[in-house]
Amino acid sequence: MGLFGFEKETLLDLTVNAIPLGILLFFIAAFAVVSPFGLDPVFSGLQFSLMISMFLLLAVLTYYAGRAVEDAEQAEEAAEIAESDAKAESLEDGTETTDDEAEPEGDDELPEA
Amino acid sequence: MAVGDLVLTGLMAVLLVGIIALLTRIENWRSYTPLAGGGTATGEDAAVLNREKPAGIIRWLTTVDHKDIGLLYGLYGIIAFAVGGIMAMLIRVQLIAPGGAILGANAYNSILTSHGITMLFLFGTPIIAAFANYFIPLLIGADDMAFPRINAIAFWLLPPAALLIWAGFFLAPVTENMIEPAQTAWTMYTPLSVEQANPGVDLMLLGLHLSGVAATMGAINFIATVFTERGEDVSWANLDIFSWTILTQSALILFAFPLLGSAIVMLLMDRNLQTTFFAVEGGGPLLWQHLFWFFGHPEVYILVLPPMGLVSLILPKFSGRKLFGFKFVVYSTLAIGVLSFGVWAHHMFSTGMDPRLRASFMAVSLAIAIPSAVKTFNWITTMWNGRLRLATPMLFCIGFVANFIIGGVTGVFLASIPVDLVLHDTYYVVGHFHYVVMGAIGFAVFAGIYYWFPVFTGRMYQRTLGKAHFWLSMIGTNLTFFAMLALGYLGMPRRYATYEFDGAIAPLAQVSTFHLLATVGAFILLVGQLIFVWNLLQSWLEGPKIEDGDPWNLERDGMLDKEWEWYDRKLETAITDGGEDEEQSALTDGGKPKSDD
Repeated sequence: MGLFGFEKETLLDLTVNAIPLGILLFFIAAFAVVSPFGLDPVFSGLQFSLMISMFLLLAVLTYYAGRAVEDAEQAEEAAEIAESDAKAESLEDGTETTDDEAEPEGDDELPEA
Repeated sequence: MAVGDLVLTGLMAVLLVGIIALLTRIENWRSYTPLAGGGTATGEDAAVLNREKPAGIIRWLTTVDHKDIGLLYGLYGIIAFAVGGIMAMLIRVQLIAPGGAILGANAYNSILTSHGITMLFLFGTPIIAAFANYFIPLLIGADDMAFPRINAIAFWLLPPAALLIWAGFFLAPVTENMIEPAQTAWTMYTPLSVEQANPGVDLMLLGLHLSGVAATMGAINFIATVFTERGEDVSWANLDIFSWTILTQSALILFAFPLLGSAIVMLLMDRNLQTTFFAVEGGGPLLWQHLFWFFGHPEVYILVLPPMGLVSLILPKFSGRKLFGFKFVVYSTLAIGVLSFGVWAHHMFSTGMDPRLRASFMAVSLAIAIPSAVKTFNWITTMWNGRLRLATPMLFCIGFVANFIIGGVTGVFLASIPVDLVLHDTYYVVGHFHYVVMGAIGFAVFAGIYYWFPVFTGRMYQRTLGKAHFWLSMIGTNLTFFAMLALGYLGMPRRYATYEFDGAIAPLAQVSTFHLLATVGAFILLVGQLIFVWNLLQSWLEGPKIEDGDPWNLERDGMLDKEWEWYDRKLETAITDGGEDEEQSALTDGGKPKSDD
């Protein structure tokens, strides 16, 4: 569990969008500190709202895209694990045919553990 | 007299009905219909009838099959490309001489306007829709598009749109120039576009509106398809890169085109109902520029994202390696999608808007350069140490990357306000965006056509002609558009029909030399495109037949995508009679050479 609940791998993938976010952040900060044309409630307001809204929109979309991809990956992995478990289970069932009455419950220990 | 007219009209009606009846009875339209019918790819067995679809032209008029609609989009796009290309040639020939070689100023303006609109709205968007329609359902394992009939309607809005956009050219001779082609440039800046009394402008605006409606319908369809029609084994984690770019592009269309539609309606009302949306006493002419570019800049990405997807899909296939940083490309595509809505006023740096506002647009414009650059590095890294196979689709992909670097880097310069103030409205800008629209988007489209040519036609194109097409396009593109960059530095303004300026203002001799070079480049491009069309047609008719579903030998690297698997199944079900040998006169390109046994 890393930043924003993403895995390390996904976070690494998402750094690609951290760079434009960083550039936007840089300009937001730079224009806040240095304003050669002075401050004006309307135009400075528009200026910052444009940059900040772009920053927020990109951050939100990146978050949800990362979420969707990671969830899909985890679902896939879970499905694969379940499949291999089922295979292993059926193999075990096949080899230990004698005491099959008790086995299924014995195997089904994951939820309780 | 009246009776004579009536008889003539009646005769004409009978004739037309007869022609239509005849057309509907022709069964062999060189269609690839065979499917389960047992025919061959181009219907040598003319008697074969596909029961799923009607025969003849009726099939093409009524089809809701995504592959058929894709082919219709493709045909439409290529015709529009030819029309826009001829217009480009006229522009280039005109500019050989400083005084203008062949056209008057009005004719030049008409052709300049139509060249831009044709290439962007009638070639660019539809040719991307061609690939998307054909391959998105195949790539994501869907049966068809989510709304097949809306898909057909979206396509059939386009031919009337083209007729309306070009209406002035047809109507000027018969109305004694009462209705002329629009001369507004593709940006339709007010007050010029409001004050031109020519009704051809209204027709063009209506056509543009119609094409926007078509694009929006298509976009809704693609979004619904990718979200709801994916096969069970296709998730967000393994969705292919082309589908990702089409999804992002469709979202951009959904937000951008309705705005263009509204702006066009406002412009039409200003022109015809004396409203004052864009008049000085109303919203002001700058309002148009803001509305237009709020659509116009996302439009740039609407056009470039899917070709980037094509290259990201095709380039790894011929590098023998998976796309480097697949997720980087996906996330950066989404980033481009969002940021493209915050950069529009970089087209308006020189309008005198507030400098604080201007600075914020510069900031977002510089930020949006990163995701594009990331993709470029990904493509290069994919090729690095790969097993490159320089088949024609790969050549066009590499050409795409090379041209996109020049087009992209010149764009970064233009994003900077001080540089833009010097270069604004010069040929530098024209060179910059043509490197992207022709050098990149055009090249990716060619790569897609060659890569999937076997799927479209069941045949292979001719290798030598394909390579000639590539090299002529590459040389022509760079000669023409690099000359334009130089012209921009020399101060040559865009859109002018003549340039007989005082030699003291700018070096006229050098300017005309570069114009000449650009025209020579355009002729090289023209020859390349003629070869392309010839290759397309001849190979479709006579090219060597494809015998298995993996003509590019992709299985070796484990890169056989779903569309080829689908194609292989189609081939297996289609060849039931053990097809007859045919004389193989043309060379195949890459893949498995046919053994001579």
